[in-house]
Amino acid sequence: MIIFDWQHELNRKGHRVAISGQPIAMHCHHYNINLQKTLEDTLGDEGVQLLYQSAEETSYHGFQNLFNQYKKIRTIKSKLELAAMLYQNSGLGIIHFQRVRPSGARIESPASHHVTGWLAKHGRRDTPGCHFTRGWIAGTLEAIYSLPCGFYTVDETKCKMKRDDECIFHVQER
Amino acid sequence: MAIDGTKIVHAVMEGSKIRESKGIIPLFGVYLSLLSVEYYNNLSFDFEEKMGKTREAEAEALLIEAAQECGYATFQGIRNSWEWEQIVSPMIETKEDQILGFAAVAVAFGWGDLEVKELVPGEKLVIKVGDSYEARGYLKNYERTHSSKCYMLRGVTGAFMDLLYGEDYPDGCFDFSAEEPFCRAKGDPCCEFIARKSSCKKNT
Repeated sequence: MIIFDWQHELNRKGHRVAISGQPIAMHCHHYNINLQKTLEDTLGDEGVQLLYQSAEETSYHGFQNLFNQYKKIRTIKSKLELAAMLYQNSGLGIIHFQRVRPSGARIESPASHHVTGWLAKHGRRDTPGCHFTRGWIAGTLEAIYSLPCGFYTVDETKCKMKRDDECIFHVQER
Repeated sequence: MAIDGTKIVHAVMEGSKIRESKGIIPLFGVYLSLLSVEYYNNLSFDFEEKMGKTREAEAEALLIEAAQECGYATFQGIRNSWEWEQIVSPMIETKEDQILGFAAVAVAFGWGDLEVKELVPGEKLVIKVGDSYEARGYLKNYERTHSSKCYMLRGVTGAFMDLLYGEDYPDGCFDFSAEEPFCRAKGDPCCEFIARKSSCKKNT
């Protein structure tokens, strides 16, 4: 991905930090996991949905913006590569897009910020917990395929927060 | 007071470009993520909306609490980290300088242009922020409001005081609590956070 230079894309103007011109904030696992737990404990399924939707909308708009900036990134393959690289460079972990089609996909994640953070703070849980990553995957694929936000639904069938070997996500049309 | 914020900003920017093989950024003793401010603002303000008018105060308290607990654990990790030892400790002359170090790290993290306006040891901390991402994000999506909206920075201001003047870690969280009397989301020219000793400490 020669045309996308991460060292150049992550920059700051005064107190504002940005990736490819989009404002970001650095937060640690304590905050990300505290927010997740607060929403899950307080709102239950609605809180889970809120985590998912916030991630979906943010990654959708972020990648739309990015692909508009980098017109040379045209193929689905190169867009998926860019997405996986951004995920990793943002400290979110490793993500492998597999069997990706417009109608659905299977995605594996052997490591993630949210898993590491959750296990460090709360230990094993009984239900899949990568709501952020599910939403991020949905928004990313919707932007890659130029589909409307909310087109896909993403389920997590295995989760390292439950001590599965890796996190597995299945994407299908809603 | 000899804290050079630019050195801290530089260390964070360089450190945040280094990640280990699992795509995790271990920096200043914590795992860092770089996420759009839109994500955090959506979460906070949609959460408030979902809770509705009747649970508005509860939503606000929960968001502040999540941030204060985070700030308490995060900055405890930060001040015990190798990076703090190498970069910030040499600049610290007094106990109170730690607060300036904390604020400089928060600036480096992109939370806003934090400026420590007043610090009365053990009693009061006043932080002014001209451009908090929370207030900016609120005004981008909503009309001006009647209540302050920078929940994260409010919790973090309390956590700074907890770490310096509260009980020893980990028992000092919520020894202090902060208010935000001025907020850009309300039309004030800047946001201001005032932390004081808590009148009634929340059990952790």
